[in-house]
Amino acid sequence: MSNFTIPVGPLHVALEEPMYFRLDVEGETVRHVDITAGHVHRGIEYLVTKRNVFQNIVLTERICSLCSNSHPQAYAMAIEQIAGLTVPPRAEYLRAIADEVKRVASHLFNVGILAHLVGFESLFMHVMEVREMMQDVKEGIFGNRMDIGANTIGGVRYDIDPERIGYLNEQLNKVEPAIAEIIEMYRTNGSILGRTRGVGVLSNAQAIDCGCVGPVARASGINYDVRVKAPYTAYDRLDVQVHTLPDGDVWSRAMVRLAEARTAVDLIRQCLRALPEGPTTATTERPPIPVGEAIGKCEAPRGELIYYVRMTDSPRPERVKWRVPSFMNWDALGFMLKDAKISDVAIIVNSIDPCISCTER
Amino acid sequence: MNFLKILVRNLVHGPSTVPFPFGPAWTPERLRGRIVFKLDSCTACRACEQVCAPGAIRFDKTPDGLRFMMWHNTCVFCGLCEFYCPTDAIRQSDDWHMAHATADQFTMAIREVIPYVSCTACGAKALASSPNPVGITPPFTPEEIEQQRNLCPGCRKKALAERGAAS
Repeated sequence: MSNFTIPVGPLHVALEEPMYFRLDVEGETVRHVDITAGHVHRGIEYLVTKRNVFQNIVLTERICSLCSNSHPQAYAMAIEQIAGLTVPPRAEYLRAIADEVKRVASHLFNVGILAHLVGFESLFMHVMEVREMMQDVKEGIFGNRMDIGANTIGGVRYDIDPERIGYLNEQLNKVEPAIAEIIEMYRTNGSILGRTRGVGVLSNAQAIDCGCVGPVARASGINYDVRVKAPYTAYDRLDVQVHTLPDGDVWSRAMVRLAEARTAVDLIRQCLRALPEGPTTATTERPPIPVGEAIGKCEAPRGELIYYVRMTDSPRPERVKWRVPSFMNWDALGFMLKDAKISDVAIIVNSIDPCISCTER
Repeated sequence: MNFLKILVRNLVHGPSTVPFPFGPAWTPERLRGRIVFKLDSCTACRACEQVCAPGAIRFDKTPDGLRFMMWHNTCVFCGLCEFYCPTDAIRQSDDWHMAHATADQFTMAIREVIPYVSCTACGAKALASSPNPVGITPPFTPEEIEQQRNLCPGCRKKALAERGAAS
C-alpha cells in the first residue's frame, strides 16, 4: 500500500463549490486533510462599507444565492435595532414565509445534489423538478427565482393577496406529497443507503467541538435552531418542529434536511392561516439611521447566521461583519473525511452543504 | 422499487420543460424585469439614484434640464428604485427579453430629460418635475399636478399653503 498526496479542488468535477482539499491518502483511505480557503474572495465586507444602508440590502442579498433571503434579513434586523424600528406584524409573518420558501428550495437542492453524487441521476432530476415548484413560487410571488428581494429596512417589499395565497397553497399541496415521496425514497433506496449510511460520521462531541450549526449539528444530535432558541420575526408565534438524528452520517444530514423541508411547508401554511392585516413596512420612506451598533441573528438554511453592523454619522456602515454557518461547519470536514474512502470525499463535502460564496465573501 | 412509479408517471405526463424559443415561456405577472421610466411622474427627488445598489441610475444637470439616465446592463433587477419611488415613475415590467447584440450595448439605456421651464408665477427658471405627493391631503388632482409642474419650488410651497395642505 502506498501513500499519496492528492489535490481535490479548487476546481473539481465533483465539488459544487471552489474549495481546495489536500488529501494525504494511504491506498484508498484518507489519512489527513488540509483545507485551504480564499479562492473566491470578492471583498464584499469592504464593498458594504462603500455603499449606503439601503444599497446594502441588495448587496448582502447577492452574497449567496441559496441563503439570499437570510443575509438581507439578518442585516435588516441589525439596522432596525439601531434605528429603533418596529416591524409590523404582517411583515413579520411575510418574512417568515419568504424564509421558509427559500429553505424548502435550498434543502431540496442539496439533497438533489447528493443523489447526483451517488450517481442516481434520475432521482437527482426528480428532486430538482420538485424544487422547481418552489422556484415557480418564488418567481410568481417575489418576481425572481433566486434573489427574491423580500426584505427592506423596516419590513418587507412584497405583499400577498388572496389570489396569491391561493396559488401558494396550491403549490404547497403539490410539493408536500412530493417531499414525502422523496423522504421515503431516501429512507429505503439501496443505492442511496449504501453510499451514505455510516459515511462521514461526525459524533455529537465532535460537532460540539467544531461549533457546528444548522442541519449538520442537528444530524449529530444537537438540538439547536435559532428559530426556537432565539425566535425572530414571527417564529415565536409559530410551532417550529426541530428535527434531530443521533448518527451524524451523510444520510442523517440528508434526512434532517428533508424533514426540515417538510416542516417548512407546514410553517408556511401556519403563517398563511395566521397572517394578520396591516402595513408591510414600518415606514414607507427611507428611515434615518442613527449612530450605533447591533447584532442580527437568523437561521439560514445552512444554520445560524450572525450579522454585526456598526453605524457612525455616515450613511454608509462603518463595519459589517457576518459569521456564516458554512464557516463553522467546514471545520468538521476534518473529522468527517478522516479515514473516509477517497470516493466518498465529494459526498461528504456536499453533506455539509458548503456555501463558499458566503464563507469567503 | 418505488422510483419506477415516478418513471411511469413522468412518461404519462410528458416533458416538464417548455419549448422556448419555439413556444411561449411562462412569465409571472410580478416578474422583476426591465425597468420602465415614466418621465411625467418623476418628482426628481433622486431617491432611486441613492438606493440603486449597482449605480445603474444617474441624474445629470444639462443645459436643458435634469437628465435621468439608467443603464439596463448595469441593473441587477432588485426593485429598490420602484419601492422607494413616491410616484411610481420608475417601475419594473415583466419583460425579460434583454438579450441584444454587443453593438447595441450603448442603446440599452433610458435617457430622458426633465426640462427647465419658467415659473408661471414668478418667471424663475425651474424644473418641470411632478410634485411630490407624499403627505398631501387631499391628494393632487391632475389639474393641480400640471399647475404645480410649471411653478418654481418657492411658488409651489406658496400654492400648497393657499390650498391649506399640511406641508
